[in-house]
Amino acid sequence: MRNKITIMVLLAFFQFTGMFAQQQEVTGTVTVANDGMPLPGVNVLVKGTNEGTVTDMEGKYAIEVEEDAVLVFSSLGFERQEQAVNGRSMVNVTLVENLEGLDEVVVTSFGIEQEKKSLGYSVQEINAEEITKTKQQNVVSALQGQAAGVQITNSGGAPGQSARIIIRGVNSLDPNADNQPLFVVDGVPIDNSTTESEGTPRGLTNRAADINPNDIESLNVLKGAAATALYGVRAANGAVIITTKKGKEGQVRINLNSSIGFEDINRYPKFQEVYGQGFSGEYNPDSFWPNWGPSMEEINAIDPDVRFYDIWRDAFDTGVQIDNSLSISGGNEKATFYGSLGNLSHEGIMPFSDWNRTSARLNGQVKFSEKFTFSGNLNYTISGGNRVPHDRFMERMMYWAPNHDVTDYINPDGTMKTYSNTNPLYDARFSTFEDEVNRTIGNFKFTYSPFDWLDINYLIGTDYYSESRTEITPGPLGIDGEVPLSSTGSISETSIESRDINSNFFITLSKDWTEKFGSTLRIGNDVFERNYERFDASGTDFVIPQFYDLSYTNQISNSQDKRKKRLVGLYGDLMLSYDDMLFLNITARNDWTSTLPIGNNSFFYPSVNVGWVFSEVIETPEFLNFGKIRASWAQVGKDTDPYLIGQTYTSPDVYPLNGQVGFTRFSRFGDPLLKPEETTSIEFGTDLRLFENRLGIDFTWYKSNSKDQIIPVPVSESVGFSTFVTNAGEIKNKGVEFIVRGTPVRTEDFTWDVSLNAAYNKNEVVNIREGIDEIVVGSQFGYAGSRVTMKLIEGEAYGNIFGSSYERFGADENSIFLNEGLPIVIGENGFPVRNGAQLVLGNTTPKWIGGLKNDFSYKGFDLSFLIDFRTGLEQYSQYDNFFAAFGIAEYTLARNDTRVFNGVLADGSPNTQEVWLGQGEGPDGRDYGAGFYRNTYRTVSENFVSDASFIKLRNISLGYNFQENILKVLPFNSARVSVAANNIILYTPWDGFDPESFSAGAGGNAVGFTGLGYPGVQSFFFTLNLGL
Amino acid sequence: MNFLKNKYTYLVISGLFMFSSCEDYLDINDDPNNPTEAPISALTVNSTFETAQNTFRMGNITTNYVQHLASPNPASASDVMDPVSYSGTWSNMYNVMTDLSDLINQASETGANHYQGIGQILMALNLGMTVDAWGSIPYSDGLDFQTITPSYDGDIELYQEILRLLDEGLVNLSNTTEISVGEDDFIYEGDISKWMKLGNMLKARYLNHYSETDSYDPTAVLAALDDGMESNEDDAQVEYFPEEFNPWADVAIDNADLLLGGWISEQFIESMDGTLYGVQDPRLPYMVGATDDGEYIGVENGAGRGNAPEQGARSVLEPDDFYTGEQSPILIATYFEQKFIEAEAAFNIDKSRSYQAYLTAIRAHMTKLGVEPAEIDAYITNPEVSMGESAFTMDEIFKEKWIAMFLHPEAWVDARRYDYSYEDFDLPANVNPDLNGEFISRLAYPDSEVSRNGSNVPDVSLTDKIFWDN
Repeated sequence: MRNKITIMVLLAFFQFTGMFAQQQEVTGTVTVANDGMPLPGVNVLVKGTNEGTVTDMEGKYAIEVEEDAVLVFSSLGFERQEQAVNGRSMVNVTLVENLEGLDEVVVTSFGIEQEKKSLGYSVQEINAEEITKTKQQNVVSALQGQAAGVQITNSGGAPGQSARIIIRGVNSLDPNADNQPLFVVDGVPIDNSTTESEGTPRGLTNRAADINPNDIESLNVLKGAAATALYGVRAANGAVIITTKKGKEGQVRINLNSSIGFEDINRYPKFQEVYGQGFSGEYNPDSFWPNWGPSMEEINAIDPDVRFYDIWRDAFDTGVQIDNSLSISGGNEKATFYGSLGNLSHEGIMPFSDWNRTSARLNGQVKFSEKFTFSGNLNYTISGGNRVPHDRFMERMMYWAPNHDVTDYINPDGTMKTYSNTNPLYDARFSTFEDEVNRTIGNFKFTYSPFDWLDINYLIGTDYYSESRTEITPGPLGIDGEVPLSSTGSISETSIESRDINSNFFITLSKDWTEKFGSTLRIGNDVFERNYERFDASGTDFVIPQFYDLSYTNQISNSQDKRKKRLVGLYGDLMLSYDDMLFLNITARNDWTSTLPIGNNSFFYPSVNVGWVFSEVIETPEFLNFGKIRASWAQVGKDTDPYLIGQTYTSPDVYPLNGQVGFTRFSRFGDPLLKPEETTSIEFGTDLRLFENRLGIDFTWYKSNSKDQIIPVPVSESVGFSTFVTNAGEIKNKGVEFIVRGTPVRTEDFTWDVSLNAAYNKNEVVNIREGIDEIVVGSQFGYAGSRVTMKLIEGEAYGNIFGSSYERFGADENSIFLNEGLPIVIGENGFPVRNGAQLVLGNTTPKWIGGLKNDFSYKGFDLSFLIDFRTGLEQYSQYDNFFAAFGIAEYTLARNDTRVFNGVLADGSPNTQEVWLGQGEGPDGRDYGAGFYRNTYRTVSENFVSDASFIKLRNISLGYNFQENILKVLPFNSARVSVAANNIILYTPWDGFDPESFSAGAGGNAVGFTGLGYPGVQSFFFTLNLGL
Repeated sequence: MNFLKNKYTYLVISGLFMFSSCEDYLDINDDPNNPTEAPISALTVNSTFETAQNTFRMGNITTNYVQHLASPNPASASDVMDPVSYSGTWSNMYNVMTDLSDLINQASETGANHYQGIGQILMALNLGMTVDAWGSIPYSDGLDFQTITPSYDGDIELYQEILRLLDEGLVNLSNTTEISVGEDDFIYEGDISKWMKLGNMLKARYLNHYSETDSYDPTAVLAALDDGMESNEDDAQVEYFPEEFNPWADVAIDNADLLLGGWISEQFIESMDGTLYGVQDPRLPYMVGATDDGEYIGVENGAGRGNAPEQGARSVLEPDDFYTGEQSPILIATYFEQKFIEAEAAFNIDKSRSYQAYLTAIRAHMTKLGVEPAEIDAYITNPEVSMGESAFTMDEIFKEKWIAMFLHPEAWVDARRYDYSYEDFDLPANVNPDLNGEFISRLAYPDSEVSRNGSNVPDVSLTDKIFWDN
């Protein structure tokens, strides 16, 4: 009965409230889906109205609504959610984190956070997890395959070896230019240069690798000039904006991350294992020639004890890397902090090569009042290692006869054990090169907000490092009968000091003029100074064997280089927004630089970009949730290096002689009227989200022209200089970028996310100053006229490789391209004819690059893999040139074959002459000298330039997050174990070591040459993360 | 609000301050590493040293053409007279001429007449070496950066310039000087009388190059010689240093370390071991190395070493001979060369003087090498050498000069003037077929020049002759 009454009363009550326009109060709590924590500051809006509220500190809200209302819950970084009230009085909501959501906030210039949808240009953000998952110790490598239009190339597999990053193609004709983007950490630019070793290559580090990837919260790639216009000259090649982790309010969190990895060579060339030491098929156990002897069968007939060692596998170790890092973070309303310690130790596959990094970071923020906050970041890193001269190591490997055990390299008295050639391992062990970098990166940021429409910011940062390098080549040990590495021995000491200071003051004025129309104006001043000093001292001829000190050498020479550069900029940035759907952004900047002649050193450049969220305005099909188009036009000016203007004298290294120091006119002359470079770029793009945001498509088209390029133009030496630094050309890049993201499956337990990015870039050297036919970017040795050269020619793309080829019948004499389709001309001797004229054999810039990422999660398990690819590029294999010359390559097994070369004679008739490929007297009684591979094959560059495309499994990782029920019994808040593998080549047409390795290092532009580079490696990792 | 006003005032003031000081703040672009001026003394150090280096460099290019040396590898480009791009040497020649141009200008401004004279003589010498190798080259448009694409001056005009420079140099050397030359002169250590002898000797050298032309004036050659060198003491040479070895010594050391180079031509060995001329030349062991068996065996130019191993079976430049000691001198211009010039110029005027000059030249060279006096006498008195004035021909002068000018670029000038008519002197094996059976007459313009100044580079082939070569 009672129940009945209650029901009736209730019914009546509902009637009653219904009569009062059915208003009711709805309360509830908003929590975060994955950890159940309450979420403050969530916007709760009644759909179709302007009414709404926000959640409080406990994530609670209360709102009066109509009973049929629909509530919209939204918060930055979370997926929007709609809930129909349907008469409920309590609506609890869990929001799902979505870092790539519609209301995504991205960090742009100067650490300014902006809503992604308001931007008129393309940016791509990579989050902490995506970075650490790659297990890359170098932050540049961690970006591989993750961002459209961003090409990352590891220069090799050495511990700490540099990685090169190029965004939307090479923008500079200057062979020495740095075409890499600016790196910015917490709003302050840092140095990412790579200073390679003098002399033999050793694979040094790009300085961004001093950052511990575990400290990174997010990483943004700003690609075009529009995105970087505020940074000005220094970001003319784009910018990588790194934000490090900050403490959060609440309890103190401790995270421990520990991982161990093992690595080995990911791909070997094909070697022959039949022919041993000697020349002309004659066995000689002391011969210089490692592989031109007879077959092992014949050798064993002479000496049954001789073995054929697999020296190419014996010589290498399994690399090991151990990475430990610990972080502590926390804070309260007034102050937050994040501190971390990290140590990485890495031993490479090449014996005695290693690299270590120890870093400490402290980030803190203090809120003195509602109006004034102060934050500071400090990072201290020690990094360095022993850099084995990989190029020389591999060259010595070439000469080492496989009939001798390469690992048996030392005699008990410490001298080298050898049959006569230098042992590569002995050299690697004793010819040391150790570097140590001590680096401090820090900044302070003050924010004063006297009114809600005014922010005053001052950001000052420094990046200081000192680096010492010691290179030792031992002389004789003073023991009878030894084969020394050098007849004198030498030592060189290098000390580099670099200090950057950045000061940035800016005022932000924001006002919402009406409900729909808002504006933000930012004006600021930016000052940059770099002070760089380098000292080199070297000594040769040690006085005491094995006592390696500069003071105890007989000849000492030294040199010094000091550089200072300053840059002052003033900028303004106006952002207008209308109704959350139309955004206009205009920027302007003027720079004054110390490196250009006074009078030409001030330059102004503007940019404008528009974003229009059309899906808010026009009727769109049901499946389209969000649609935006964007357009931008921007200019960026660019200065140059210090001290390029005018004429100077220099003293060649050979002096002093007889106590006299000679001087000569320095070979470079800088145009006294040098003016800044100017890059103009336009970009159009669209961002579409479909099917409940389960599918996202982002497309960008861009074009950029850089003119008045400052180039050290090589000029006729007869004018008194060999280079003239002047404004001398224009280069153009245009291309498209696609990003497709999707969530094919999303259930409570199982999620599958997939993302694909691909980019196409086309480059053209538009013009080079009159009187100059070509600009040589670099060249690499090949035996007997097979040297290749990378040259820039007007009208052609960046990166063409020129070299010798086989003569082609009917080839167009005026064409600079090799026409491989034509028949090869065979000479009267029956062998293909070599054409020494330098023709284009390929291009080193990939046409397409991209990556495919898949993430699966099922309950506590997650599996992800990242595949990346590059295609449409060729590369010169110096390795193969040596393999051919020394009879190491598998194809030289044909050395005793008789063959009729496919081709035509000079008169066009088919070749029918049979020839022998071997050395000395052939079966036909003819003397073939050094044989086909040495006489012909190794002399033709064409044989060594080939397709260097690849598809790689950049990373695959499987992880398990311990679930609530287990964590309950463990002293941890979170625990995760994972296994991962890296850099596995899935496909490549290339025959050789990993085609990714190249010899120039990240700082160089002659990227299409392998050199005898450090081979690429594949790695396997085991990782444990614990959270307290 | 007062506070805010102040704040803006501060901003404006600091802004203004920033602009006014901006110019000074940015005026830091003077290179602290390289000075904008160099003292003439420092330019002299480098110019004298580099002139010796250039003599080596040109010699290193031409020595296979004159078959002093031969490549150990078959069909090596320099051996078979292929077009080779000698960008490096081209650049080195101009480096020195550029510095000399600065030296001459600076010396003239300061009244340092002796420096100016030395500069002019060295300029003539380097210009001469360059013209003799390439023919027409940029000069009047060059050196002082008037254009990035300088035009080429004709070889005939450049020879007039060489002679003018020598004459002017001699005048300047005979004048008093504001600043004296000293240890900064690596050739004569400031001995101006020797510089004047060198100036005259070079005048004779370049005038004598006209031998095959209508303008040849042997009396002028002899007149210049009269004020030339008087003994080996007057030789223009640079002795090398403990810190910097003689570059031929480096070739020999490299070869011993199996970086092959400096192998002796069969032609050279056979010209000295009695095969071709019926007299054994005692200079051979002073100049080149023997095999492990103590024999002297050369390599045929263009053919390579065949089955010979890298070491021990052929004659090579070996460390520590006269030309290959670590501190051996590089000979730039010598008394014995002058005597051969005298022999040639006097041949049709005063044959007796010619014959005596020829014999003196041989003796001077042998003495220079340190050959035992008894061996010298034995050689010179051999009838193959001392055939007597009447039997004496121009062939003997050229043959003996060819041996004495071992590794020196002048040997190629002589070979071309003499049309390579040495005994049994054949084209190399595997010779460049584009030469159509002729010997090489000039170097190809280097790739760097073709690439950087292509429109001005003359269109010539390797068989087109320098003006003095007919």
